[in-house]
Amino acid sequence: MSTPLVELHELRKSFGPLEVLHGIELAIEQHAFVVLVGPSGCGKSTLLRMIAGLESVTSGTIVMDGRVVNRVPAKDRGIAMVFQSYALYPHMTVRENLSFSLEMAKTPRDVKQERIESAAGILYLDALLERFPAQLSGGQRQRVAMGRALVREPELFLFDEPLSNLDAKLRVEMRAEIKALHQRLRSTTIYVTHDQVEAMTMADLVVVMNDGRIEQLGPPLELYDRPATVFVADFLGSPAMNLIAGTVAESEAGPVIDAGDDLTLPLSPGSAVRPGAEVVYGLRPEHLRIGDGPAGLAATVSLVEPAGFETHLHADVGGQVVRVISTERLDAVPGDSIALVPDTARVHLFDSRTGARL
Amino acid sequence: MNATLHDSEAMTARERSAEFGKRAVPYLLVIPGLLFVLGVLGYAVAGGFVLSLNETDMFLNKTFVGLKNYIAIFHNPRFQSSLWRTLAFVVLSIGLGISMSMMFALTLYHVGFGRRFFRGLSLVPYFVSGIAAAVMFRFIFTTSGGFVNYILTTFGMEGPSWLGNPVLAFTVSILANAWFMVPFATLILLGGLQTVDKDIYEAAKLDGSSGLHTFRRITLPLIKPMMGVSLIWVSYISFSTFDIILALTAGGPGRATELISVYMYQIAFLELDFGQGSVLMVMLLTFNTLLSLVYLRFFVYGDRRYKVVS
Repeated sequence: MSTPLVELHELRKSFGPLEVLHGIELAIEQHAFVVLVGPSGCGKSTLLRMIAGLESVTSGTIVMDGRVVNRVPAKDRGIAMVFQSYALYPHMTVRENLSFSLEMAKTPRDVKQERIESAAGILYLDALLERFPAQLSGGQRQRVAMGRALVREPELFLFDEPLSNLDAKLRVEMRAEIKALHQRLRSTTIYVTHDQVEAMTMADLVVVMNDGRIEQLGPPLELYDRPATVFVADFLGSPAMNLIAGTVAESEAGPVIDAGDDLTLPLSPGSAVRPGAEVVYGLRPEHLRIGDGPAGLAATVSLVEPAGFETHLHADVGGQVVRVISTERLDAVPGDSIALVPDTARVHLFDSRTGARL
Repeated sequence: MNATLHDSEAMTARERSAEFGKRAVPYLLVIPGLLFVLGVLGYAVAGGFVLSLNETDMFLNKTFVGLKNYIAIFHNPRFQSSLWRTLAFVVLSIGLGISMSMMFALTLYHVGFGRRFFRGLSLVPYFVSGIAAAVMFRFIFTTSGGFVNYILTTFGMEGPSWLGNPVLAFTVSILANAWFMVPFATLILLGGLQTVDKDIYEAAKLDGSSGLHTFRRITLPLIKPMMGVSLIWVSYISFSTFDIILALTAGGPGRATELISVYMYQIAFLELDFGQGSVLMVMLLTFNTLLSLVYLRFFVYGDRRYKVVS
């Protein structure tokens, strides 16, 4: 494997007495699309801004292309950044916005022209070059912001929640566009978002952050299928995974989870768990099937959300609200009694004290 | 569609008039203030203009003389020199005032510790009346016992006669004027700086723009409207300044600091020539109005290319 383009070692950041990043270790390969995801305040934006050179490093090192860049000014790091607010220069035309950085770098006129035209072509900005940002729609401004990053031909693209200001439909479109762009240009990208759907759909490598630490990192589906902690299990997936606390108990059919209130949750027969252990039982909504007969967990429907392709159901099981996704059209109404059959092979068990996967 | 339902959904006359009333309230509330301003200002301006076309005796009996007062004033060498002096005073005051305001605004913008305190402190000169400011400057620049000369003496230097030397007195007047008008201009510019999205500066930094370059290419164009407003303020104050000069130098030494406003006072209230005094008032008004229009044209409305979005 080639050397990573970006390496972070023991990276820490404090604002006054408050430490917001607690020793981040991360290596980012050439051409990778890395998404930093986590709830607000988890430190993901701060981390991105430190990589960009907009925020100083308290301790630890940032290595880019084999060179420590802790004290290298932002403009000399070979990076380009797309801001959440787009941060376009409102008094400049799209063309001037694109050419600003090239002017700063004293790029020859013909090269400048060529780069602007090529970026405009890629991002469908050709017809908008003489317009001012105020005359553009949100999506178009987003494209200009990306174009401004593109013309610099950076080694590393940074995106700071670039889609948060767009409406839902446009967000999905731009998501696909950014991913397609990356597949075409293969430029290394670090993308910050709090939207787990963006993280799942766009990333080669998802880095889930929580409270200034990396909770887990890996390919999206690996994180989805094998979350290392309760936090990751809860954070990735929408609707979120059902998480029920209980104790491991024995039954004739093998180990089960006793979740109190006469609620007993089945495990697959081979589960290697110690009886008496306090655990969190996790099961994704799509891994609960609505049974035909009485077999399964007795549940009462409390909410039905038809989403078109699938139906989301909230049901009360032994005092716990459980989310279920069914790809069938359901005629259930609140108050109906149903039976839920868990797919025991897909059960996730976590230590209830540490939150770690068992 | 159900006809009765449709009817009941339509606005009743009462609802419509209530709606109209709601929209009319702001205008109604503005009217008293508007009348007051028009009454005081409009009456003074119109009355002054009428006076400028008349000769008035000490019993305020008016005789219409057309442009005679204007012609007399324009041919008066004392007026001509006060006009050039005023223009010099205004140009220098604007230059000094705006650059100081910009410096203070930028400094206050970046002040982190004690931000509110420093911002409040910076406004203090604005709350001091012109007369008081002038008296203070007298204390500072008085030849014997003045603060500046005291400092110079401790270094073994003999201080000049600040208010006795024409050039120095003119300079001190400009300083005092700047001291008085800078705080408000600073406030306007600071407001302008705060409207600029911080991300834009970070984007410029990443684009490789240096601090000075960012100021010239990004900050200045983006605060252009506020720059225009503070220019209007600074020019207006400088053209019209009267109390500061009167209390500081009274136009002296000789006529070294006799600006049009001071000359106007002398001609109208000491020589009791209300006609010629009014001519000067009309001139000041015209200067201020024209200059404000120029600023508005070039700074505030001149650039419609962008909306400054906060």
